[in-house]
Amino acid sequence: MDFAQIIEQYGENYVKAIFETMSMTAICFALAMIIAVFITVMRVSPIKPLRLVGDVYVQVFRNIPGVALLIVIAYALPNLKVVLPWKACVEVTVVLLASAFGSENFMTGINAIGVGQIEAARSIGLTFGKTMSKIVIPQALRSAVLPMTNLLIATMLTTALGSQVPMSPQELTGLVSYITTRSTGAGIVPFIISAVCYAGTAVILGVVGNYIDKRVRVLR
Amino acid sequence: MSAHTTSMRDALYEAPGPRTKLLTLIGTIVSLVLVCIGLALVIQQFRITGQLDAKYWAFYTNMNTWRFLFDGFLGTIKVAAMAAVLSLALGVVLMLGRTSGIKVLEIVCRVIIDFFRGVPSLLLIYFFYLAMPQYGVRLPPFWMITLPVALAASGVLAEVFRAGVNAVPKGQTEAALSIGLTPGKTMFKIVLPQALRIVVPSLISQLVVVVKDTTVAYVVSYPDLMQNARVLLTTHDAVVSVYLVVAIIYILVNFAINQLSIYMARRSGNPIISRTTENPT
Repeated sequence: MDFAQIIEQYGENYVKAIFETMSMTAICFALAMIIAVFITVMRVSPIKPLRLVGDVYVQVFRNIPGVALLIVIAYALPNLKVVLPWKACVEVTVVLLASAFGSENFMTGINAIGVGQIEAARSIGLTFGKTMSKIVIPQALRSAVLPMTNLLIATMLTTALGSQVPMSPQELTGLVSYITTRSTGAGIVPFIISAVCYAGTAVILGVVGNYIDKRVRVLR
Repeated sequence: MSAHTTSMRDALYEAPGPRTKLLTLIGTIVSLVLVCIGLALVIQQFRITGQLDAKYWAFYTNMNTWRFLFDGFLGTIKVAAMAAVLSLALGVVLMLGRTSGIKVLEIVCRVIIDFFRGVPSLLLIYFFYLAMPQYGVRLPPFWMITLPVALAASGVLAEVFRAGVNAVPKGQTEAALSIGLTPGKTMFKIVLPQALRIVVPSLISQLVVVVKDTTVAYVVSYPDLMQNARVLLTTHDAVVSVYLVVAIIYILVNFAINQLSIYMARRSGNPIISRTTENPT
C-alpha cells in the first residue's frame, strides 16, 4: 500500500493516535513533575524514614523496565483487587517511571549549587525557607531545563508502552501494529508515518528546550 | 546520584537546637508509623486476596524454577551483550560521521542519530517483527529483538561519544596537528582513545537502557527472562508472585549496573553522560 491509500483508509486513526500520544505525554509529564517535586522534598528533608522512602522510590522506578512495570500494574494488580482501565495502567506506569527520573534531575540540580552558597546564605542570616525559595529552588529549576526537556521526550517515547495493552483509541505505536496485522501488504509506510511523528516532535521539543536553557542557564 | 548527595542534603540545615531536635524526632516517629501502616495495608491486601497462599510461592523452593528463570536470564544477557557491542560500533561510526567535517555525511549521520533517539524502541521492534517479513526478510527471533535494541541505543551512544570527544582538551588536537599528524590520525591516535576512557562510566549506565529494552523480547517470542516468566506463570497459575519476583530481579540487576557506573565515575572523576544530561539538539 502506498502513502495515499494508508492515509485514505487510516487517516482518521492517525489523527486520533497523534492526539492520544501527545495528550498522554502532556498529562503524564505534568503529573510526574508534581510527584517528582514531592519525592525530592522527601529526599532532602531531615526526617530519615521519608528520605529512605524517597530514595527507594527512585531506585525502584528508575531501574525497573517499563514493560515489566506495566505488566505488573495491568495483569498482576487485578489479582490484588486493584483494577484500572487499560489507558490508566499505561499512564500510571509512565508517571511512576518519569517521576523517578524527574526527582533525580532535581537532585542533580540541587547538588550543582554547591555547599558554599548555602553556607553564604545562612551566614547573611537567611532562614531555611528564604534559602530554599531565593537561592536553591531558582537555580535548581534553571539548571533542570535541559534534563527536563530530555525527560519530556523520554516520556513521549515511553507512552509507546500503550501498544502492549488493548487501548482504544490506540496511540502511535499500537496503531502501527494494528494496521500491519489488519491490512496485509501495508508495508513500511505506517511505520514511517509514526516514526516521523515521534522523531519530528522530539527534534522540535529539543530545539525549544535548548533555546529556553540558553536564556535561563546559570553559568558557572 | 552524584558524589556529594548527602553533604548537600545536610548542608541545607543548621545544626539543630533542642526544639528542632524534638520536632525532627516527632516527625521521624510519625512518618515511621505511617510507612509501617502503608506496608501493613499492602501485605493485608495480599493476604485477603489469597496471594500469600503457599501454592503461589511453593514452586520457588524447586530448583527447576530457578534454573528455568536463569535460562531466561542468560537469554537476556545474550541479547543485551550483542546489542551493546553492535550499538557501540554503530555509535562510534555515527559520531565519526557527524564530526567528520564533510557536510553531506554530517547531515546524513545527524538525521540517523536524531531518528533513532526520537523513536520508541517498541516501534523499531515492530518494524523488524511486522514490516520486514512483508518484504521477505524473516530474521530469527534473536536478531528481531537484538537489532532494534542496538539501533535505538546507537543514536544515544553517538551523542555520548561526541560529548566524550568534546571533553578532550583542544590543546591535544592542536598539538597533534602541529607535530604533523593528519586529522584522521589525530582522531584515531590522540582524541578517540582519550574520549573512550572519558565515557566508560556513561557506557556502563547506558547498559541499563539496553537491558530494559530487551524486556519486550516476548513480542518476538525470544526466550529471555520475561518470556520465561510468562511460561512459568501459566504452568503455575501464579501471576502476582512470578511478575513480582521477575520485576525485583530486573531492578536488582539494573541497580547493580547503575552502582558500578557511579563507582567508575567517582573513581575516574568523569561525569556520567546519559540521555537526560546530553544536549537534546
